[in-house]
Amino acid sequence: MALDEARIGLAHGNGGRFMRELIQEIFARHLGGGVLDTELDACPLPSLPEGVVVFTTDGFTVQPLEFPGGDIGSLAVHGTTNDLAVAGATPLYLSLNVFIEEGLEVTVLDRIVASLARAAREAGVQVAAGDTKVLPRGEGGGLYLATTGIGVRRPELQLGMAAIRPGDKLLVSGSVGDHGICVMLAREQFGLRGDLKSDSASVFPLTSALLDLEGLRFMRDPTRGGLATVAHEIARASGCSVRLSEPAIPVRDAVRSVCEMLGYDPLYLACEGRVVAVLAPDAAEQALQTWRALPGGEDAAIIGQVDPEGRPVVIETELGGTRMLEELEDDPLPRIC
Amino acid sequence: MVKRDPDAGGGLNPGRRLWIAGQVQGVGFRPFLYRLAGRHGLTGWARNTVGEVELLVCGPAEALEHFTRDVVGAAPAIAAPRIRRVEAWDGPVPAQFRILASEAGAQPRIFVPPDYFTCDDCLQELGDAGDRRHRYPFINCTQCGPRYTIIRALPYDRANTSMDSFPLCAACRKEYQDPADRRFHAEPVACPACGPQLSWAEAGAEPLQETESALAAAVAALAAGRLVAVKGIGGYHLVCDATDEAAIARLRRLKPRPTKPLAVMFPLAGHDGLDALRLAVMPSAAEAELLRSPQRPIVLARKRANTLPDALAPGLAELGVMLPYSPLHALLLDQLQRPLVATSANISGEPVLTDATEVESRLAHLVEGCLHHDRQIVRPADDPVWRSTGGRPRPLRIGRGCAPAELQLPTPVARPLLAVGAHMKNTIALAWEDRCVVSPHIGDMSSERSMEVFEQVAADLQALYGVRAEEVVCDAHPGYATARWARRCGLPAHEVLHHHAHAGALAAEIDSDGPLLIFAWDGVGYGGDGSLWGGETFLGRPGAWRRVASFRPFRLPGGERAGREPWRSAAALCWESGREWPACPDADGLARAAWERGLNTPGTSAVGRLFDAAAALAGVCLHASYEGEGPMRLEASLDEAPPPPAEALPLRPDAEGVLRADWEPLLAPLLDDSRPVAQRAALFHERLAMTAVEVFCALLERHPVAAVGATGGVLQNRRLADRMQALFSARDVTLRLPSRLPANDACIAFGQVVERAASDAQGG
Repeated sequence: MALDEARIGLAHGNGGRFMRELIQEIFARHLGGGVLDTELDACPLPSLPEGVVVFTTDGFTVQPLEFPGGDIGSLAVHGTTNDLAVAGATPLYLSLNVFIEEGLEVTVLDRIVASLARAAREAGVQVAAGDTKVLPRGEGGGLYLATTGIGVRRPELQLGMAAIRPGDKLLVSGSVGDHGICVMLAREQFGLRGDLKSDSASVFPLTSALLDLEGLRFMRDPTRGGLATVAHEIARASGCSVRLSEPAIPVRDAVRSVCEMLGYDPLYLACEGRVVAVLAPDAAEQALQTWRALPGGEDAAIIGQVDPEGRPVVIETELGGTRMLEELEDDPLPRIC
Repeated sequence: MVKRDPDAGGGLNPGRRLWIAGQVQGVGFRPFLYRLAGRHGLTGWARNTVGEVELLVCGPAEALEHFTRDVVGAAPAIAAPRIRRVEAWDGPVPAQFRILASEAGAQPRIFVPPDYFTCDDCLQELGDAGDRRHRYPFINCTQCGPRYTIIRALPYDRANTSMDSFPLCAACRKEYQDPADRRFHAEPVACPACGPQLSWAEAGAEPLQETESALAAAVAALAAGRLVAVKGIGGYHLVCDATDEAAIARLRRLKPRPTKPLAVMFPLAGHDGLDALRLAVMPSAAEAELLRSPQRPIVLARKRANTLPDALAPGLAELGVMLPYSPLHALLLDQLQRPLVATSANISGEPVLTDATEVESRLAHLVEGCLHHDRQIVRPADDPVWRSTGGRPRPLRIGRGCAPAELQLPTPVARPLLAVGAHMKNTIALAWEDRCVVSPHIGDMSSERSMEVFEQVAADLQALYGVRAEEVVCDAHPGYATARWARRCGLPAHEVLHHHAHAGALAAEIDSDGPLLIFAWDGVGYGGDGSLWGGETFLGRPGAWRRVASFRPFRLPGGERAGREPWRSAAALCWESGREWPACPDADGLARAAWERGLNTPGTSAVGRLFDAAAALAGVCLHASYEGEGPMRLEASLDEAPPPPAEALPLRPDAEGVLRADWEPLLAPLLDDSRPVAQRAALFHERLAMTAVEVFCALLERHPVAAVGATGGVLQNRRLADRMQALFSARDVTLRLPSRLPANDACIAFGQVVERAASDAQGG
C-alpha cells in the first residue's frame, strides 16, 4: 500500500491528491476489475437478466468495526445482499457510500475494504458505484458504510407475508444470537469466549435453494430485534399466532451461557447470516433437508408453526409450559418480584 | 290465589317486606327463611332476585319484630345477610309461607358464593351406610359444596351451573323442591343415581367408569407410591404418598420442582379432625380453627422434627398442611389413612389445570393415573394459602373457599372499573359503586394459559355481577403482560404505580382519615422515577402518596435474572461498596464487567433484593429454584434465641429529600463466617425492623402520622413482621399489616382500584 499517511485526515476527503490516492490504493485496488470505474461519474450497468428488478438500501454503524467472524465491510455486503436474497432475488450490484472519521488508521480501512471486496465476490455481487466522505474527528464512529443493492427476481415468484396460512411451518437456517453476542462481547472488550463468532454471511445460497419449492411463502433475515421480532412481524401481518418451540431453536452453548450470565434472551439478538422461512407444512421437511445439506445450513431446524388464533407469539418451553414472547421494549426491566 | 286471612295481624301493619343483601344466595337462605317464618307463625313468600332475597312476612307485630331480628342473628353460618330495605305492607295477606321462583330483577346486588367444604351433616351422611349418599364423593347441600367454580351465570340456579347436565332423580328432586329440606335449592345437589361420577384413567389400561372402582384404583395406585392426578373443586391436584420418599423424589424430578415446598393433606382424625395433622405439625389455636373452617385452606404450620420426609419442604421450618376439602378427598384420605402430597396440577407458574384432556396431555410425563370426575370446573380456583405473621394468620393466596373475595371500598369508584393487577401471583379486581370483588389467584402472567384464565375471569366477573367495566387500571410497568393487555383492550387505561397500589390496598383496611405512613417493601416494581422500587415508605392517603423514605439504590446485574439468582443481589451490594466476595459465582468476571459498563443492570431500592443478598452472603441460597427461596431459607435458619441488640441503618436524605437507608453496614456481619448463620440472619432481620422504626421517628419530627402500616411481599416474613410490630408496639404505635388480602402482589389489583377511586375523587 502506497498511502503515505498512517491515518485518514480531512484532506482525504477534499477532492485533491490525497483523496485520489485513497480511492486508487484502497477502493479501486480491492473493488476494481469489474464494472466499477472510479474515473466515471456514473457507471453504465450491463443489461440485467430477465425478471423483476429488486432494489434495497441499508446503513451500517457497528462497533467495533472488526469483530470475530466479520467486520463492518463484510456486514455492509451481507446486510444488503441478504435483504435482496430473502426477497427471492439474485443480488447483482451494490453501491457503496463510505463515511470515514478523521483519524481512522489506514491499515484498518484497508482491511475492511478488502473484507468487503471478498464478501462481495463470495455473494456474487459487484460494487458498481461508490463515494467517500471524511468527517471531522468526533463526528463519526470511525467508519460508517451505506450500501444500496440491485437484484433480479423471477417474475412468477410470489413471496410475502400475505401468503402465510395457518398450519405453515417456520424454519431457521442456523443458530440464533451469535452475531449479537459476539459484537457485544467485542464492543465491551469482554474478551473472546470459546469459538464464538458472528454468523455474518451471505444467505443467498440458502434462499435460492428454496425458490423452487411450491410451498415457500416468505423469508426474512432476523437482524435487529432477532428471531422474536421476525415472529412478531409475521404474526402482525398475517393476523395469525406464531407458536415457537424453545427446545427446537438452535442456540450455541457459548451464546446461551453468555446470555444467561448477562440476562439476555438470544431470541431478541441480531443475526447477520440466518434466514427465517415460512413454508407450507408439506414443504417444510424438504426445505429442512435442503438447508441442512448446504454450508451454513447444517443446524437448520423447524422451530414452530403458524396457528389460526392465539397470542401473537407464544413459545413452548422445555418443561411443557408456554411463555408469551413480547415485542422488544426499549430496555426490558425485570418483572419478577 | 291469595285470600285475606281474617285472623292475621289485625293491626294497621299486617306485614313487612324485606330486601336482604349480602351473601344470601347459594347458602340455604330461603329454606332458612321458610323455617324461621314457620317458627314465628308468619305467612308470606320469599324469592331470589338478582343477588338479593326479597320477602314478605305477615303476622303479629311482635312476631314480625322477632323475625326481622333473627333474619340476621340466626342465619346459616355460611350466609352473611344484610337487611337493605324494610317496608310496611298492607296488601293481601297470604295464607301460608311459600318460596317463589327466582326472578332476574333489574337491580343487581349480586354475591357470588365461594366453594365450601362438606358440612358436618353431609359428612355424617357420607359415612352412614344406610344413607343413599353413603360414600358418594359429590354429596353437598345448601351449607356446603362447589359454587364459584361451577356457576356459569347468575341468578344462582342449577340451570346456570355445570350441574345442568345432571337431571335430578325423583328422590333428589323431592329434596330440592322441599322448602323444609336442607337441600332445598341446593343447586349442585346430586346422588349416586343422578349426579357426577368418578372415573379412573391410566396409560395402557381400560378406563374405569364406575365411582367405587375408580376410587379403589386411585387408592391402590397411591398406596403403591404412584403419582396420581385428582380432580377436585377448583382444579386438579398432583397427589402422592407424603410418607414415600421415592414418590416425592419422582414427583420433584418429573414436574420438575426441585425444592419448592409441597402441600400435604391429612386424613380427618380425632374429635376435631386434626389429630393426624398434629403428628406432623404444631398448629396454633388460630391456625387449627382456620384449618377446620369451610374454606379448608393450606396453612403453613411449624413442622415437628423427624416425622415426614424433609423433601416435602427442604430447608424450611414450616409445612403447608390442609384437611380434606371435599367429600372426595375425605373418602380418599379416610381409606389411605396416611398424609398425601396435594400440589396444584399445573406447569410451574400457570393456573391450576381443570380439564381432563389437558391434564392427560400436558402432564403425561409425570402422571401415572388420573382420578377424573364429570362435573365440569367452569373456572379454576387454586387452594388458598395462609401463614401466621404479626400474631395471626394472614392470607398468602386467595383461592378456593375464599374467592371471589369481596371488599368494601373506602371511596366509591366514579364508574365501573377493572383492575388488572401485577405480573406475578396475579389477581384481578372488578369494582363498581363501593364494591370490589377480587378474583382467586391466577398466577404468573408470562404464560399463555395465565392470560387465557385472566381474560376468562375478567369477562366472567363482569357477567356474573352484571357490571360492565368502563375503564381499566394497570401497573405502570411497561413490560407487564397485564399492562400491555390494558392498553390494548379498548377502554381508557389508567396507570397506578406498583407500590402506591400496595399502600392503597393496606390503607383501605385502616379505619383512619388522617395521614398514613406505609412501608411498601417487596421484590421489585416499577417506580415513579423509572427505577425499580421495593423499599419505599409513603406518607399520605390513597391517591396522594409522597415517597418519604427508601433505600440506597444499587444496580442488579443481569436484570430479571436477579429475581431467581440471589447471588446477583449479593454481588451488586459488594461491587457497589467495593467489597470482595470470594463466593461470588461470577468466576470469569463477565457479570462484573457488564455491571461495570451498565449493561442490563437496572437500579433498584428493593428490600426483597436485600433479603436475597443476605441469603446469598450468609451462604444459605445462591440460586433459587422458586420465587422467594433465598429469603424463606434465611428466615428458616433463625433459631429461638431472643433478637440481638441492633442499630437502625444510617438514614440520609437524598437530593429530593427522600431519606435513604444505607444497606452497607449489613454486609460485614453477613460475611462473617465465624458467626453461626442463625445469628447473622437474626441481626439482619433486626436491623431492618429497627430501620423502619427509625424512619418513623425521623418523619414524626416533621409530619403528623395518624397510623402506620407495612405491606409488600417482604412482610410475608414472620420474623420481620413480628419484630416490626413489637418495636412499634414499644413506642405505643400499632403497626397495621394486611389481613384481608395477601401482602404480596395478589393485593395489587385491589390497591389499583383504591388508588384510582381516590385520585378520581380528588379530581386527578
